[in-house]
Amino acid sequence: MSTLQRVMYVEDEPDIQAVAKLALELVGGFTVKVYSSGEEALREAEAFAPELILLDVMMPGMDGPTTLQALRGLPSLATVPVAFMTAKVQPAEVAHYKTLGARDVIPKPFDPMTLASQVRAIWEA
Amino acid sequence: MDATQQQALAAQLAKLRADYVARLPAELAALQALAGELQGAERDRACLEALHQRLHKLAGSGGTFGLAALSAAARALEQRAVAWLAGERDWMDATARRALAVELAGLGQWVGQTAGETVGTIAAPSSFIPAPNALRSAGKAIRVWVMEDDAALGEQLARQLESFNYRVQLFTRIDEAERAARSESPDMLIMDVMFEAEGRNATEALADFPALRALACPLLFITSADDFESRVRAARLGAVGYFLKPIDIPRLVNRMGQLVEQMSAPPQRVLVVDDDADLAAHLCLVLRAADMVAEVLREPETIMDELASFQPDLVLMDMHMPRYTGPELAGVIRQHDKWTGLPIVYLSAETDLERQIAAMRRGGDDFIIKPVSDAQLVAAVRGRVERARQLADQINKDSLTGLLKHASIKDVASKEISRARRTAKPVTLAMLDIDHFKSVNDTYGHAAGDLVISALATLLRQRLRQSDHLGRYGGEEFLVVLPECAGAAAQRLLDDIRQRFANLRFSYDGQNFSCTVSAGHATSCNAVLDDAVNEAVVVAGDADLLAAADAALYDAKRGGRNRVCAAVLESRQGEVPD
Repeated sequence: MSTLQRVMYVEDEPDIQAVAKLALELVGGFTVKVYSSGEEALREAEAFAPELILLDVMMPGMDGPTTLQALRGLPSLATVPVAFMTAKVQPAEVAHYKTLGARDVIPKPFDPMTLASQVRAIWEA
Repeated sequence: MDATQQQALAAQLAKLRADYVARLPAELAALQALAGELQGAERDRACLEALHQRLHKLAGSGGTFGLAALSAAARALEQRAVAWLAGERDWMDATARRALAVELAGLGQWVGQTAGETVGTIAAPSSFIPAPNALRSAGKAIRVWVMEDDAALGEQLARQLESFNYRVQLFTRIDEAERAARSESPDMLIMDVMFEAEGRNATEALADFPALRALACPLLFITSADDFESRVRAARLGAVGYFLKPIDIPRLVNRMGQLVEQMSAPPQRVLVVDDDADLAAHLCLVLRAADMVAEVLREPETIMDELASFQPDLVLMDMHMPRYTGPELAGVIRQHDKWTGLPIVYLSAETDLERQIAAMRRGGDDFIIKPVSDAQLVAAVRGRVERARQLADQINKDSLTGLLKHASIKDVASKEISRARRTAKPVTLAMLDIDHFKSVNDTYGHAAGDLVISALATLLRQRLRQSDHLGRYGGEEFLVVLPECAGAAAQRLLDDIRQRFANLRFSYDGQNFSCTVSAGHATSCNAVLDDAVNEAVVVAGDADLLAAADAALYDAKRGGRNRVCAAVLESRQGEVPD
């Protein structure tokens, strides 16, 4: 099995962007690209060619589910695994996000020291 | 990850956390302001939706930065907002509004508890925005607590740190430090990880000592335990340093020096350009309340002079003024190379996107739309200035020592010499050079040489006044600029530094060694002599003073090294520097 290398993350909060990038790059050793909005991700994600996509759920403008749907419309990203990251994780909501096509949900707040292993586990699932 | 990367990670996480905590008051104030807009009318639903979004973000972010209690409290409030939004009504009654405001105000306590700062007065935003300049007062000794159960080692460490001007208090038991932390707090905490006698690992035990945990100062660990678990625990506690025994003192002191520098950054300076005098005065008050230095530009025509004398870190510019527009003034500023990096932020009610973009093209960096809350304004300014300063540091400062580079310290020297001439006060330039530095490199390797250089840099930084300037002039050569300091005082100061440096013990790969430094200094004497006698010195430029200091350094070297020599300026006026 090949190993996960390229991870993209769509998140509008700069604080969380910075800490997630640090956690994924330094702890996980991934190559990480962060986009501040769904719109930006749509424009640029194909060029980055991610192997895994992380999406914040609640964002101004395009929210996570809308972004997911739009990304699925891009041929090269149609089958790339996606995980949502959100502060709301009732079991029913996790199930709902999975029906939208997400492989899993990472609850916020996350621990910077363990985020990379959570992400890797989702990719390997 | 290797040890260095882990240390880097811990430091970066701590930095992000500090940034996050610093921004929280503004965020909490924004929440408060939103709650204040609830008026028992139809708009309440929109307000509450905005509140819900922000609370959701807070719930999702707090815990990531170690503020789990804040996350939980925000989550509880978020759920209340969701429940209310699920109802039919579009307005909120007075009791519910009051309850919500009280609970929002209560969020502040969770920031306070975890970060060790009491954020009490939520109602007055400008008074609780934390100032990052905790150690601004010049010349104050930095209080360091060392928690080390091996008393002999602790005392040795304390002695070494004291030679760098730190005031050290030693604790050999965790509970002693905990008791002390209830009534006072240090500027920095250095802690051994293993307390053998108590059989405790401090990174685990800290949870049981709330007063110590609540200390807001930087935390450094010293340890013989190089296992991943201990390092992760240290990172979680927000440690900004992790040093393995036997302790490499210069490296520890170097790190401490960087931390002190961060804590004692000078206040941010903001120039406000706005024709509305009331608004300009208000902006100044808000910025000053946040510990910044703010001034209003009265006459737009004088903007370049004002920039030169006030030396702002940022310009806050109105878009529309009677005679000149903001973008026009920005254009004038950008015609001067010296000011190309100065952040210019427009503050305006302009909501037309096209015009905003046009204004940015004319040399502006950002746009803040009026009306802006006090907290937002402060946060926007502070963030921009910090980034601009970081960038300037990367350009102007030497990466090993954090001191000014050759060209920058020479610029500073020229400025101080002209200032001395204007004010008729003395200025002293000193050159320092580490003795036989090449043999340190040859014998112990370049890494050891780097340590010696950074130790001298740290020592200089510790012993000089805040108004003095310090640069790395060459490989092992330093230039010090001492404004308003005459020859005798400079001689005493430099000799004290020379002695302290000679007393430092370096250890590298199990070998101990020490180094010495030679120094030469020269004082502009236009303050001392009367004009007629002094004419030649006055017309002689900056380079002559530098050359004189350099010649004095050469005298010190020739006289046997490990000594400080003063230049006799009059006899050297004619010399041309190389």
